Amino acid sequence: MTGQLEIDVTATLPGFTLELAERIPLAGITVITGPSGGGKTTLLRVIAGLEPAVRGTIRFDGADWSGLAPHRRGIGFVFQDVRLFPHMDVAANLAYGARRRGAGREMVAAVIEALDLGPLLHRAPQTLSGGEARRVALGRALAARPRLLVMDEPLTGLDRARKERLQPYIARAVADFGVPLLYVTHGEGEITYLADRVLTIAGGRAAGWQPPAPRLTGRVRAAGEGWIELERADAVLRVEGQGRVGEIWAIPLGRDLSLSTRDPGATSGVAVLEGRILGPEPGEGAPETRPHGLETGGERLTIPASWVPAPLRGVEGGGPVWLSLARIRARPLASA
Amino acid sequence: MTGFLTPVLITLKLAAMTTVLLVIFSLPLAWWLATTRTRLRPLVEAVVALPLVLPPTVLGFYLLIFLSPESPLGAAWVRLTGETLTFSFSGLVVGSFLYSLPFAVQPLQTAFQSVGTGYMEAAATLGATRLDAFRSVALPLARRGVLTAAVLSFAHTLGEFGVVLMVGGNIPGKTRVLSIEVFSAVETLDYATAHLLSAGLLVFSFLVLSAVYILNRRDGAGR
Repeated sequence: MTGQLEIDVTATLPGFTLELAERIPLAGITVITGPSGGGKTTLLRVIAGLEPAVRGTIRFDGADWSGLAPHRRGIGFVFQDVRLFPHMDVAANLAYGARRRGAGREMVAAVIEALDLGPLLHRAPQTLSGGEARRVALGRALAARPRLLVMDEPLTGLDRARKERLQPYIARAVADFGVPLLYVTHGEGEITYLADRVLTIAGGRAAGWQPPAPRLTGRVRAAGEGWIELERADAVLRVEGQGRVGEIWAIPLGRDLSLSTRDPGATSGVAVLEGRILGPEPGEGAPETRPHGLETGGERLTIPASWVPAPLRGVEGGGPVWLSLARIRARPLASA
Repeated sequence: MTGFLTPVLITLKLAAMTTVLLVIFSLPLAWWLATTRTRLRPLVEAVVALPLVLPPTVLGFYLLIFLSPESPLGAAWVRLTGETLTFSFSGLVVGSFLYSLPFAVQPLQTAFQSVGTGYMEAAATLGATRLDAFRSVALPLARRGVLTAAVLSFAHTLGEFGVVLMVGGNIPGKTRVLSIEVFSAVETLDYATAHLLSAGLLVFSFLVLSAVYILNRRDGAGR
């Protein structure tokens, strides 16, 4: 059974109070989002023990963390402003936490391998590019073998291409090292690609949970240098990424997907899948505004009404659709 | 103009001992001042800075009172060592320590403040205790401040006059330091000795300070 992070705290900062009682599953990637100044960073700092004025309780998988010093919590924290130690090279930064937590050389070596850090080992942090520095910061946190990884807007300040290049490393790290991740962001692309669940925080309070973006899944049946083949009931998709045979991967659906009521034939995209709109889900509001069911390749997804082709929107019983994928960004799912 | 070697050696010994003691004592104090949120901080800062504004005679006067064999501290010292604190080399070390305290604490405090708490937090999340993080992160990052504090303490103690004269008197071979030797030489119209010692101190101080500024610059540009 999956453990939980049980939080019931009030944290008082100058001019701001965070008041929150939530249970966060300790598995996969939990994205925490919400407006700036809403308390996302404060929540991470409270969990890590970095905020002094906190009342209440924090329990990690049953263990009481209230009042426990930060260095005893075993949290890997990737800060928004990176904070690599400037007086140490990359290798020493990676070894810093590993040595203190007794993680051993094998762990450091595994992290270097997983995040492609080999070429950077003898560089000074000041000479790294923004993207490289973020990768090292993630590696430094992972190498200390954390029980929980938290990342505070770790891709802020990078251009979109760099963000998209780094996201697979994050997903890969969570899948490979089996460490649950709390990930603060307000980037739509990051939420779509990374989230297994989403918690919104605003005004110092929790404002509700959302499910992850609709996603297709597949099993890796073949893998090579930088590519995998994902096997689904209805198709085999060749996808960019580093994976191993047998892993389950997700293809989160977002802007790269378009639906049509006719077979589009050949497209400029990478794949066309057949499916069926199942009609609006039960719930409140007009049928054409409610989320709709979508069945494809034996999987049943729930998608927003705005994704449904107009003629099928709100129609009970739905009808056949074709899913065109302009490109596929897939990621490994953490095994539960 | 012979015999001035002894005051030079006494001065160097005094400056070296004072510097070592000051750096050891000032590191935790400066770290505390740089990181504490207590309202007492301005008061402690004011006390540390007092020697900057007080005339050395005032500081020396109170030290003379507090270190005298009649005072609890002075009496305890006599029982412990058989020697008085006033008019002794040990008393000079105490006086120099207090007189140069701001020159050690302030550069360290500034250096620690510029290190900030961010790296210390990162170290804590990586499993470092506070002491470990201080030793492995804050101290190396503040090394320019440590160097500056040590050199300023040393140089300031070298050039000290008033406090030393008040607390230590002018006992040849024991408490007569370089600056007092210069004073005595001028009083006895021995200008040759005064010139030699003064020029020596001037050149030495200039070289030490230049070395610090050059080192600091190179250190800053190298990273």
